[in-house]
Amino acid sequence: MSPSITLGQYLPGNSLVHHLSPRIKIAVLIILLILLFSLQNFIALAVMFALVLMLLAASRIPLRYFIKGLRPILLIILFALVIYIFFTKGGVVLLRIGSFTIESEGLRQGLFVITRLLVLIILSLLVTLTTTPLSLTHGMGYYLKPLSKVGLPTEEIAMVMAIALRFIPTLMEESQRLMRAQVSRGADFETGSIFRRAKNLVPLIVPLFISAFRRADDLALAMEARGYRLGAKRTRLHEDVIATRDWAALLFVLALLAVSFYFKL
Amino acid sequence: MFIQTDKLTHIYMQGTPFAAEALSDISFSLAKGRVALLLGPSGSGKSTLIQHLNGLLKPTSGQVYFNGNPVGGSKAELLKLRRRIGLVFQMPEEQFFSESVYDEVAFAPRNLGLADRELDHRVERALARVGLEPALFTKRHPFHLSSGQKRLVALAAVLSLEPEVLILDEPTAGLDPAGRRRLYTLLDDLNKKEGLTLLIATHHFDEAVALAEQVLVLYKGKLAMDGSRNKIFSNREELVKLGLALPPITEIMHDLADSGLPVNRDIYTLEEARTEINNLKGSGKNES
Repeated sequence: MSPSITLGQYLPGNSLVHHLSPRIKIAVLIILLILLFSLQNFIALAVMFALVLMLLAASRIPLRYFIKGLRPILLIILFALVIYIFFTKGGVVLLRIGSFTIESEGLRQGLFVITRLLVLIILSLLVTLTTTPLSLTHGMGYYLKPLSKVGLPTEEIAMVMAIALRFIPTLMEESQRLMRAQVSRGADFETGSIFRRAKNLVPLIVPLFISAFRRADDLALAMEARGYRLGAKRTRLHEDVIATRDWAALLFVLALLAVSFYFKL
Repeated sequence: MFIQTDKLTHIYMQGTPFAAEALSDISFSLAKGRVALLLGPSGSGKSTLIQHLNGLLKPTSGQVYFNGNPVGGSKAELLKLRRRIGLVFQMPEEQFFSESVYDEVAFAPRNLGLADRELDHRVERALARVGLEPALFTKRHPFHLSSGQKRLVALAAVLSLEPEVLILDEPTAGLDPAGRRRLYTLLDDLNKKEGLTLLIATHHFDEAVALAEQVLVLYKGKLAMDGSRNKIFSNREELVKLGLALPPITEIMHDLADSGLPVNRDIYTLEEARTEINNLKGSGKNES
């Protein structure tokens, strides 16, 4: 029951990666993902992997956060590797066990796919670890804005997302407090069959819902009291300014993409 | 000693950039049958400290003892501990989840695996102990009670464990003056008539102080003061430095004594103050 860091939760820091504008960070992420999935050349992928590792070092986030983030998907990675190694044929036979063979093409493709997965995960973690959920939402809201022309309430969607993200830690804290309170009354959340455990969660879930609804009511009232109206134009206290380094980062990844397309890597 | 901590230190989220030392090097003890107040400004670590006493939180270093035995160990041992040390959280009525007062109060003893008849008995006794007539309340919906009644039901929901120690975190938060008086009268009875050991954590202590024998003051996670009530409240300057103040009544008695009048400083209730001041008037007349 000890408080732990949520997977991919923002870690305050002072690195170049932290200071990039969230809008640019999202664009860079998307461009790098396009690059990642268009690369067919093994050496080019290895270069990209090295580049991402450099980015990771530049973020100055302790490596164990990435390792922790990778742990849940380790199984998928291993599974993919095994499938490729055993079922893709071609190239030289490396190992023969009875009727099974491991061939070089399988190994090559397996390694290719897992490197791709690794880069994908590291890049996504890099964005969520270095950007506050709030600025991430604002960044996404920016790209959603064109959709407001077709009647989508993009400002409101961004607000809903921001509020949801804002209340995740609050609700986590609340559920932990409630859990301790019920454990003090002899409740047990950790043992028994699945059904028993689900039933045991009632003393946790009912109060949590009640408090969430009460919080939502209070928040709605407080927002209205401060002049929040649907459809009204909102301004921000901290404008997201795109600086030279942001343009440089964007140009750099665009150049990478152009090079890879030109040489058909 | 009944409840004791030895160099208790607690660090939240150790090993992350969010690490924060909530408690450092806390050693205190509380004797059986006593009433102690745990004072300190918000964020001083009161809630963290009391959650160690029934094993909800594990110390980063140091040890907690109950009745001479170290707190911790297997789940069964912790459950045994928690039926002897009842912990009432802040705003305990926010934990309600049942559709009847009976089920709410029966939750804890049911978790102990008690049979139905013993359960009925426990619920009735717990409700009676908080001054709610069992026949009138067991079938009511806990969410439909008044806020004062909710608090009493929440207290009964812990008393149904029949603990020897009751630890309360801000027990009067959100109650009106009548509700506060009722609660403290009740706590006083539980201690004096039934011998329950009480530890009350609060920063709103004007009323609680009348019951207290021992006072502990936490400040920024450290135990800044520990002693008898009269000793702690004789040190006005130190308390102010720690973000606290004397209860208004005691403050006035101190002022009167400082101005040279022959009054007792250790006065904590309106009743005592009234008597003391009336005595003063009496002695004044005699002199003139």
